[in-house]
Amino acid sequence: MPAQIDHAEAASIVYDALVVGSGVSGAIVARSLAERGLRVLVVEAGPGEELSVADYETYLTRFYGAAAKDNNAAYEVNPNAPMPRSPDVRRLQPGHPDSTGYLIQNGPYEMDSTYTRVLGGTTMHWEGKALRMLPEDFQMRSRFGQGRDWPIGYDDLEPYYRKAEFELGVSADVADQTFYGITFPPDYEFPMHGLPKSYLDQLVARDLDGTEIRLEDTTCTLSVRPTAQARNGVPNPAYDGGKGYVPVGAVSTHQVDEGGRCQGNINCVPLCPVQAKYNARKTLAASLQTGRVDILTQTIASRVHVGEDGQISHIDYQAYGSTTSPEHVTGSLRARMYVLAANPVENARLMLASGLPGSNGLVGRNLMDHAYLLTWALMPEIAGTMRGSQCTSGIEDLRAGEFRRRHAAMRVSIHNDGWAWPTGSPYTDLIALVDDANAYGAAVRRGLVDRISRQLMLSFMVELMPEPSNRITVDGRYIDALGNLRPVLSYSLPEYTMDGVAAARRVSRRIFQRLGAEDRTSYDPLDTGYVGHQGEGYIIRGGNHWAGTHIMGESSHDSVVDVHQRSWDHPNLYLVGPGSMPSIGTSNTTLTLAAMSFMTAEHIATELTTRPTVTIGG
Amino acid sequence: MADDNDVLAAFLTLSATLTGYSQFRLLGTGQAEPYLATTRGAVGDDVLDQLLTTSAAVHDKAADNEEALDRGLRAGILSDDKLGPVARNVIKMWFVGTWYQLPQEWRDAHATREPDVTHVVSPASYTEGLLWPTIGANPPGAKGQGYGTWASPPLIDVP
Repeated sequence: MPAQIDHAEAASIVYDALVVGSGVSGAIVARSLAERGLRVLVVEAGPGEELSVADYETYLTRFYGAAAKDNNAAYEVNPNAPMPRSPDVRRLQPGHPDSTGYLIQNGPYEMDSTYTRVLGGTTMHWEGKALRMLPEDFQMRSRFGQGRDWPIGYDDLEPYYRKAEFELGVSADVADQTFYGITFPPDYEFPMHGLPKSYLDQLVARDLDGTEIRLEDTTCTLSVRPTAQARNGVPNPAYDGGKGYVPVGAVSTHQVDEGGRCQGNINCVPLCPVQAKYNARKTLAASLQTGRVDILTQTIASRVHVGEDGQISHIDYQAYGSTTSPEHVTGSLRARMYVLAANPVENARLMLASGLPGSNGLVGRNLMDHAYLLTWALMPEIAGTMRGSQCTSGIEDLRAGEFRRRHAAMRVSIHNDGWAWPTGSPYTDLIALVDDANAYGAAVRRGLVDRISRQLMLSFMVELMPEPSNRITVDGRYIDALGNLRPVLSYSLPEYTMDGVAAARRVSRRIFQRLGAEDRTSYDPLDTGYVGHQGEGYIIRGGNHWAGTHIMGESSHDSVVDVHQRSWDHPNLYLVGPGSMPSIGTSNTTLTLAAMSFMTAEHIATELTTRPTVTIGG
Repeated sequence: MADDNDVLAAFLTLSATLTGYSQFRLLGTGQAEPYLATTRGAVGDDVLDQLLTTSAAVHDKAADNEEALDRGLRAGILSDDKLGPVARNVIKMWFVGTWYQLPQEWRDAHATREPDVTHVVSPASYTEGLLWPTIGANPPGAKGQGYGTWASPPLIDVP
């Protein structure tokens, strides 16, 4: 068990901090506070019976046996704490919300992003890209007249990025990651050396490096760069002034020899089979070593209560014994500080379900994600597709520049896993060969090589600005098995983003032309995610990079949390995670939210340890 | 078919022809028996028997003549309303470990059996799929080739 404590005992303790959610944000806050001598309770809505390899292996076996291998395929269906699943997404009819999946889709755009409700949260299925945001991403309003500025800048967050790179175990080389304003302190080294470029990356780089692309008035010179990844590589002996770095292996309360270097299992999402990829269980396991952290799984924070002084007084929980039965017990948990780290959708959902939309009504609003445009082609030669981690390199050169006044920036990933995401390859290729091409025997073998080993897929991750109308709400008509209100999503893609999508498609054509690759991209108007824009149609996929439902700002009038991710309305409440981000730029959100979690934990610890405790009416 | 061993041998003969991999290679996956059982469960004894009997006749008649074997397979099995969809399912099962539900018209004409739903035969059948070694790769989530191997060209052995 993660902690030798039961609900009755936990309910009898006033913790220093109660953390809702065991994903990367909650785990970092819990570990940081505990290491400063504070007592922390973590509650996780999903299952996670043991913090052990055996528990992890059940996920892997479930994944192997799943006919549909979507990004939550490794995790059991749990009506008590459900999660969005991409196969549940339906094409929406205007004016008709779809409640097929856990997430109610109000439209107009149907979104297939997911998250994972198990111990360790969505880091169990995340891919592991660990990108810093660009300095200019923090100044979108003042630099480009778009979106919002952060109340802090890159330089404020930089020391915490380093902490996050240590905690997540990032493999990268400083020379490869120094671009477009990103700076490191002199002599900085990443914990581990960068992962080698795939053979496919090398073929792309051979012809593409140095190609110039114009976006508005900005000339972008493309190069294929290795991607910083929270995945174990070769430790860098120069790390931390020559002290080196010891990679964190598989999580277990017992000794186990797993979790070394990435083996190239090409399965970062939904599950790294050997735990070479970081997941928040690694941080949770370390937090337990302090002896000051308790973890309760299968425990849903169901309602946040506010006292007359505006402070949070307690949080109600529901604890269920089995994922197959709605039977549960209830109670209340108390702490000096409350930290909601459940992810942007669940944080907003819990606040709204507790009748706490915020004094300015902004809880749940300004929801963001990256809009993904997938483009795919066949390389002129065998490229060895389907090997490595899912992505080893990308193109960073379309992320920065004055063009951001006019349309969204974009980042390109080169996918080692081929067309799996857009077409369902290699399964669809096999079916087409056997059922349609009438191939059997050696012809199937040759056909598979010809169709799969030459695949190139470029994903364009396009930026989205915060819009108040993109939001999570709740609605009494929609409840889960335990009676909790389900999240309702209203989502549209603004012109700024769609102009970026159109530019991305043009760029992809140029890249394929330069490579002599056969462009096989096509978007079916009947498919989910189809969006028309200025006479062209695109399929936009969700990036699973939920952000912005409790946006951070300098004033209580136009934001939900302050720079410390502390609620403006409730001084002992922190809403932690990507929900606080005022912009997401073109970086996957995890490294930034991890850095923010360290910053916030430092603040909470200071508040708890330097402020005298005032006893009222004593 | 006289006994279980004969049935398995006939299934392997047909499977080797359909997949382009040797019986030795197919046996090495440990999946021959589960795949035979899955096929039997989905289509029933009569259809399985007919498939294997027809296959044996085609192979006997063709002897070692590949062109004759090809013509015989297409005429006798692959274009047969009853046997063709089953044979194609056997190919797909060997390559990715998944039994795909037979087409509606097949089920209308013959039978819909409960096991005939799209499913992965077992977790092991997924990791033993032949597709992955065919393209010089590993099944996603299993049998990783090792740190940095992805930087080199793939090892692909096509007939």
